Amino acid sequence: MAQKEHTWRLLYNPEGDVADIVAYGASVAEGRIAGKYQLSTTLVPDTLIIQRSREKGIIAGADVTVDKNLAAANSIAIAKMARQGRNSARAIGTIQLSELTSKASRNFSSVDVDPDDPAVIIYTSGTTGNPKGAMLTHRNFHFQCTTIVKSLISFTHEDRVIGVLPLYHIYGLANALIVSFHYGACLVLMPQYSPQSLLETIDRNRATIMPAIPSMYQLLLGLARTKSRSINIPKSLRACISGGAPLSLAVMKDFMTVFDTKIMEGYGLTESTSSVCANGVGGIYKEGSIGKAADGVELNVFDEQGREVPDGSEGEIAIRSETLFKGYWNNLEATREVLNDEGWFFTGDLGYRDSEGFYFITDRKKDIIITHGYNISPREVEEVLAEHPKVVEAAVVNVPNVKGDETVTAFVVPKFSGPEGAADPAGKPTHRELQEFCELHLAPYKRPRQYVIVDSLPKSATGKVLRRELRGESEDTRLIERSDA
Amino acid sequence: MKFGKSKQAGPLSPGLARTIEEITARYRKREALRFENRIYTYQEMNEESNKIAGGLAGLGLGKGDRIALMLPNIPEFVFSFFGIQKLGAIVVPFNTMYKGREISFILRDSGAKAIICLSNFSNMIQEIQSECPELKHIIITGQRTFVFVEPEGSVNIQMVFERGRFPDPKEAFFTVGEVLVEVFRKLGAADAWYSHQGAVRAGGRKLATIMISEIENLYICNIMTWLKPMDTAPLFKVLYVPPEIKERALEPMTSILQESGTDVPLETFKQVLVDSLGSRLGVVFEEGRLTRDEKIAYEKNRALAGRLV
Repeated sequence: MAQKEHTWRLLYNPEGDVADIVAYGASVAEGRIAGKYQLSTTLVPDTLIIQRSREKGIIAGADVTVDKNLAAANSIAIAKMARQGRNSARAIGTIQLSELTSKASRNFSSVDVDPDDPAVIIYTSGTTGNPKGAMLTHRNFHFQCTTIVKSLISFTHEDRVIGVLPLYHIYGLANALIVSFHYGACLVLMPQYSPQSLLETIDRNRATIMPAIPSMYQLLLGLARTKSRSINIPKSLRACISGGAPLSLAVMKDFMTVFDTKIMEGYGLTESTSSVCANGVGGIYKEGSIGKAADGVELNVFDEQGREVPDGSEGEIAIRSETLFKGYWNNLEATREVLNDEGWFFTGDLGYRDSEGFYFITDRKKDIIITHGYNISPREVEEVLAEHPKVVEAAVVNVPNVKGDETVTAFVVPKFSGPEGAADPAGKPTHRELQEFCELHLAPYKRPRQYVIVDSLPKSATGKVLRRELRGESEDTRLIERSDA
Repeated sequence: MKFGKSKQAGPLSPGLARTIEEITARYRKREALRFENRIYTYQEMNEESNKIAGGLAGLGLGKGDRIALMLPNIPEFVFSFFGIQKLGAIVVPFNTMYKGREISFILRDSGAKAIICLSNFSNMIQEIQSECPELKHIIITGQRTFVFVEPEGSVNIQMVFERGRFPDPKEAFFTVGEVLVEVFRKLGAADAWYSHQGAVRAGGRKLATIMISEIENLYICNIMTWLKPMDTAPLFKVLYVPPEIKERALEPMTSILQESGTDVPLETFKQVLVDSLGSRLGVVFEEGRLTRDEKIAYEKNRALAGRLV
């Protein structure tokens, strides 16, 4: 018997399938747990199981929905993991949320807070260094809902709001979750996004309001245009909000027509909690503008010496509003760099105001490319490239080259025409075509020296182009390095 | 649907917890949240948030504490968000796509005492927990794990053994980690190192994941490793990920082939694993099969695994 304790059983299953991978371990564990399947008295030894699947497959948690047809079409087998319950094995060092709440009361008397206490800290990445935690207070969200949103869009308790934007980001948090509940509306949450599922969710719930990002509008429109019979174009949306990145006028117009709705383009930053201005409010839209200041918000443009500049002159756009953050968590220095004594927050966006009070962004302060003494606005060059008939979008950055110098490089995404993999009749633009196009529209020093065709541009959760990644400067922060400290 | 007369109260008071309470009093039975086929009324949402606030308070968390939230758009995000507000604590939400150092920085900088995350991420968080001294509680929810397997690349290893062998679970993790490092080194992956609970890495990349669960008198250890690089393209055909974030959706992984330059057959891997594990634990292995009782459980578990909704 003593010998037995030193013998483990090996189960070797080199040609199994996905269901085996789930079933083997579970059955051995069940066989060992007292009271279950005790049909015989044979004691089961400690066991090592080594398995390999003979097919490609996905082993999915109980809450994951996998498209069966799509999986079958791609020869991918699927196995579901058993739902974990209160009596299931628990991962060491963790607590199940359900376990935590099962013992808790349905009543809780809220702890009193000061309206100026931080409610949320959201980390934002700057152009350099570590992300900074923007402290947003209860007052920030309250002012956003009661004053700013009210001046842009009429939320009511009868609205159904699409919650497709990630709630961990300020855009989704403020404009889907918090606004929706402030007005007693219903939030329709989507855990996973695909253009198809978004379209179906709008339709099935007869959603009335949708905050989204430009690529979603673009892809929904693309889907609506495939004219497939299985696609029903919902007309229930009465108001849409676009933000995070600029929405092209063509997409905006077409979307409004096809979906019979209105789109308003908002502009805001994590540090401003909410949109601080919007274009398209009450149907008044100016191309290329971010709109006029919303109610309760002051916007202004300052030069490098901190002096106000007149209408039409370029400077840095600054915001003063009750939605402005309290500062960066534990980082007074970074706070002082952007927030001055008069309460102005400097956005880092360069632009101007026209005589009617509409604001225009011309560039990001730190994205300016300086080459041979000239300042180039990447945005200007990108807008020119985006007008090329074979181009969807482009990003222009200075890329370090082998000579230790930098080359102004345009990363160009060719037009999407039809489903993935389908032949593109227009073809991809050639280097020469792009060069000739830029020669027509841009001064010589502004023309990119190099063109790179890419499938997509690296973007943040809300669709901002990550220029550092294009420059090849970004570290891979997904790695966990060994620290021998 | 009926739209009852809503109580026309004045503007809501500032304070996110108070807003939810006042709105709930106004719209008690009205829909607050829809998720897949489930509807939650304002009252239900408020109660779920209260339970989370109560549960967190039970862990000793309270006013001003930072609590990280790493969840996708699921109801638990909403309940946790307002539960934390009711506690007077501060929510630190962040991108569910973040990996490794990004998370570690945020947890450290904010001094978060607890994190609420999907169960899939628990081993990644455990891996960096030693770098985040304030982080005391890893609270997990949802079952959204997604494991991709391939005939050439991936190997799944499970161990079911007496808990008595390692009274301290950290020792169980450590031993398994050390054994794997030895195996990888013997197979030529010289850079393999055990990276706290949860993984073996080579350089910064993941070479194996380790998860250990406990139930009654047992430890159940799940390990996944890769003999060859995995082709993830088919995965993205089934699971839609917007093209511009595809790169960030996966954690950087490596494989024995990439690390050692050797194409190791599964048989060899098995032999090396059995040798290292055997000498470390002082046991011998006998190749066997499922018992009759286990076979019954196996058939049932296979059937459950194949039942797709």
